[in-house]
Amino acid sequence: MEREIGSTMPQSRSSRPDPSSLKAHEIFAAQSTPLHPHLPATSHPHQSRAERAMAPINLSHRRTHNLLLISKLLNLRDTASPFTLLLDSLEQPATPLLKEYIRRAKLSKVHVTLISFETLRKPDGVDAFISARRKSPADIMSEVASAYQPAKTNGPPQRRLILIDAINPLLSSKNPDPTFQLASFLGSFITPRDPTAPKADASLVVAYHTDVPGLLHQQSQNPYKPAHLSILTYLATSIITLHSFSHILAQKAARDRSLVAPVFGLDEEQDGVILGRLDKLTGTGAAEGIVLELEHRRKSGRGVLEWYLLPPASRYAASHVKEVVTLLDDNVLYNPPVELDSRAEDEEPKSTFELGLTDRQRRDREGVVLPYFDAQYGDGPGEGGRILYDMGEEDDFDEEEDEI
Amino acid sequence: MPSQPPLPPLLAPYLSTQPESSLTLVSSILGATSNWLVLRFLHAALSNSSNNASIGLEDSPDGKKKKVVFVSFLRGWEFWKAEAKRLGLDLTRLAGKQQFAYVDGLSELFTTPKPTGNTLPTLSTGSPAPARTTLPLRSQPGAVPGRTPAPASSPIGQGSTGGPSISEPGIAKKLNFAGQGLTALDKLERDISTVIAKFKTAEDDEILLIIDQPDFLLASTGPSYAIGATEMMDWVTGLQQAVHATVLTLAADSPLLHNAPAASNQMATPVESEHAAFAIGLAHRAQSVMQLRTLETGAARDVSGVLRISRGGGWSTGAEENLDEKELLFYIQRDGGVRVFGRGES
Repeated sequence: MEREIGSTMPQSRSSRPDPSSLKAHEIFAAQSTPLHPHLPATSHPHQSRAERAMAPINLSHRRTHNLLLISKLLNLRDTASPFTLLLDSLEQPATPLLKEYIRRAKLSKVHVTLISFETLRKPDGVDAFISARRKSPADIMSEVASAYQPAKTNGPPQRRLILIDAINPLLSSKNPDPTFQLASFLGSFITPRDPTAPKADASLVVAYHTDVPGLLHQQSQNPYKPAHLSILTYLATSIITLHSFSHILAQKAARDRSLVAPVFGLDEEQDGVILGRLDKLTGTGAAEGIVLELEHRRKSGRGVLEWYLLPPASRYAASHVKEVVTLLDDNVLYNPPVELDSRAEDEEPKSTFELGLTDRQRRDREGVVLPYFDAQYGDGPGEGGRILYDMGEEDDFDEEEDEI
Repeated sequence: MPSQPPLPPLLAPYLSTQPESSLTLVSSILGATSNWLVLRFLHAALSNSSNNASIGLEDSPDGKKKKVVFVSFLRGWEFWKAEAKRLGLDLTRLAGKQQFAYVDGLSELFTTPKPTGNTLPTLSTGSPAPARTTLPLRSQPGAVPGRTPAPASSPIGQGSTGGPSISEPGIAKKLNFAGQGLTALDKLERDISTVIAKFKTAEDDEILLIIDQPDFLLASTGPSYAIGATEMMDWVTGLQQAVHATVLTLAADSPLLHNAPAASNQMATPVESEHAAFAIGLAHRAQSVMQLRTLETGAARDVSGVLRISRGGGWSTGAEENLDEKELLFYIQRDGGVRVFGRGES
């Protein structure tokens, strides 16, 4: 059940390329993973929006399959997504999600490499920390390659996680390497250049700050070159856009009242405001957490769209193994439970008049031959259209009025 | 109105403790400048422990000395000295005690000082990363006699016309921008880190680096010098590596941030797009962001502006995540004292 559910979701994603453009799988074809078995596809294309939002079967299907999917993606199982792109903004930075990636990688003993364009000190749990300050892309590539040597074992291929904390500085450098190609740069992390080397399943997770401008000089250099963000979204096998939960709630509350959804931070365009994130002031209280808007592209060409909620890291222990991510629609703050009254449809409107019919009254009413039926028998001119009346036993005959 | 304590009690926890290798970004706009906040950062780090104890903060328990290196690009030494005096800080004396170092990024940044002796910057011939020891450095002012009264009559701009006035007490270094792109930035970085290195006598000294308005450097050079937001941020990162914590102020006026939105295709000028990328990129790296702005509802008699403290996008450990996000009002009195209070309080 992987229908397009975007229309019921908080924001439309209009600037995103078509999810069915699966070029990335050709590029990362070296990573052959078994195709996820197809799910029963009982799609209802003409389902109305209300049905779609409420249908309980629908939600339970999504609960099973899409929760499995996010768990697979975050745990880096089966290299379900070789290249994951995290689109963040100041309102919801990607660092908590990167930490979650590192936490899960530690639990399953995956080697973690962090390529740092922004981070000063090595964060906890990172095995190899590579500062990319003032380094050419080629240097970074060779450092990453030498940071981890997979042991030659006959067991299952070892796994490796490569994180880039922000790709923006690389893309907007004023001294670009003329030979630099973004696609081959990213691809080199996933597929080792030396085919004889022991194989390690590498997953690449790249954060991109969507609110940092930086396209000006690039476009003036070569106007025919696509924007960096277009290349990134084109290559990515999964795109996770991050939102702050309290903002999503505030926007939903406004939409439910048919008001214009509020904007936060830079979008407010208020003088002096860079960051709007003030969790306490939004009035949503305990609405902590990150909303993940996932777009996953299967190898089959089908795209999956889903909204998830990642609770704050303080809510669970670092060694917590069970899945902590839930569907956004399952959250009680986002989707308050509707009080279902099963007898609601049977009830009549309350009134002092009896508006219902007894069985006998209904039978009598069905027995009435309406005048236009009678007129069709054609008994002669003037005969059609008579009012036919069968006296009931409770009627009393009035000569003046009831003359037939 | 009664005189205020130099450190507003509500702000004290934010001003006096900076986690290790953290970046605090202070953004200001034209109507709400950050000078008073910078001075309070200075005061929190430099004033002696008795002052801190009076507001409920003890001195760092392990006897670490707090030192400040202050790089200013937009305002002169005289200004800071006078303003600090109103708070009860004698910067010249503190400089003599090797607790404070002032790096002047204003007076000789773009004017070549007269070639007297070996003070001529030779960086224009240098390779991007020459060994630091080979660089002919200006003689440090070194042991400035602390009690020497400052030449109060010298105006701010005099240093640029009267040759390298390195004898001026309190100024550890005057920055000079020469060359192009990374080379020029590397020289500035080396100049500042030399000051830091000389200054760091003991290994566990906590050095706080305050960089005031480096966005001026970006705006005055820009793409024609092959300097963009990325290069500036790398420059800041390089300085951050040498110190305990960094406080950085920059302008966040609307035209500098909002004329170059990331998604739109409209043409923005280089200053607009580079400044926006610099400011937003730094906010992504910062552990906390303090934003100053004026009241949205217009001017008020007893409120100068709004201070919003929020978490930035940078990596942080668990303890730092407990930074309380707050929005406070402040009022700058005639005597320079600042009152900070919550909305609805007075």
